[in-house]
Amino acid sequence: MKALFLTLLLFASLPLFSGVADAASATPDAAEGTNKLTMITEKFGVELPTLIAQMVNFGLVAFVLYRFVVRPISDTLDDRQQKIADGLQYAEEMKVQLAAAERERSEKIKEATTEAQKILAESRELSKQMIEDKAQEATAHAEVIIRKAHEATELERQKMLSDVRHEVARLVVKTSSVVLSRDLSSDEKEQFSNTAASELAKSI
Amino acid sequence: MNRNKKNLLLVKKLVELSKVDDLVEASKVSEVLASLKKLNLPHTLSLLKLYLHQIRREIAQHTATVYTPTSLSAPVLSEVEQDFTKLYGRKIKAVAETDTSLIAGVRVRVGDDVYDSSVAGRLQRLAENVH
Repeated sequence: MKALFLTLLLFASLPLFSGVADAASATPDAAEGTNKLTMITEKFGVELPTLIAQMVNFGLVAFVLYRFVVRPISDTLDDRQQKIADGLQYAEEMKVQLAAAERERSEKIKEATTEAQKILAESRELSKQMIEDKAQEATAHAEVIIRKAHEATELERQKMLSDVRHEVARLVVKTSSVVLSRDLSSDEKEQFSNTAASELAKSI
Repeated sequence: MNRNKKNLLLVKKLVELSKVDDLVEASKVSEVLASLKKLNLPHTLSLLKLYLHQIRREIAQHTATVYTPTSLSAPVLSEVEQDFTKLYGRKIKAVAETDTSLIAGVRVRVGDDVYDSSVAGRLQRLAENVH
């Protein structure tokens, strides 16, 4: 922008400089030309001091315009362009980062899915093993209960048999005692007692 | 030596004095008791209790109590006396007692030892062996 303005200013002032130069450099051979120039300037009302003053004025106006209008506008435009470029670069970077994040997310989801499937498989295997263990444990427990029940039944049977034997023996002894007491005569008892007494100490 | 041991030794000597032919004799016991009464020793009551205990023990060790359901003849009782005297190596005196629960046969007790040859005892042993 600044370059464009300077170029335009240069082209606008070029004819003036060339006219002055021509007037200054053509002194030796062209009094005729000077006259023509003088005639033209007089005809068009151009006077040198006025021209110089206009040129100075133009230069001042150009400087002021350049210093206080063109340069701030140019700086503002440059800043905006830089900001836009930065924004575009940032957007590009963000796009790249977004793509990377998307890719990472996809990988993470994939890994999580794989891990979840693995955990699910392990859980299934574990639950299956647990069920089998519990079944075996229950079977063993049932066997223990059955064995204990058998043992208790056997003990009860043995106890009953023992009680029956004891009761039968008691009855036999009681019956025999009653029968012998009733059937043995006094003489027989005395004879048995004497014999037993005689043989007791000898048999020991 | 404490008092109990002294009393025990004294009582054992008194028991020896109460015997005639290795058996406790009632007359000798009376003499010992009379002598004790005359001496008027200290702790006479405890001494007498110990003496009574030792005399009972001595009698039990020298007495064979023969339990029978009927009366026992004198020769058989004498035979029992001789057999147990020979068995224990000391003088044993047989005393007959009636016990109808034995049905027939005899049961002899000497001190803490019991010898059973009765019908009731045999039946009881039979019943115990059935178990």
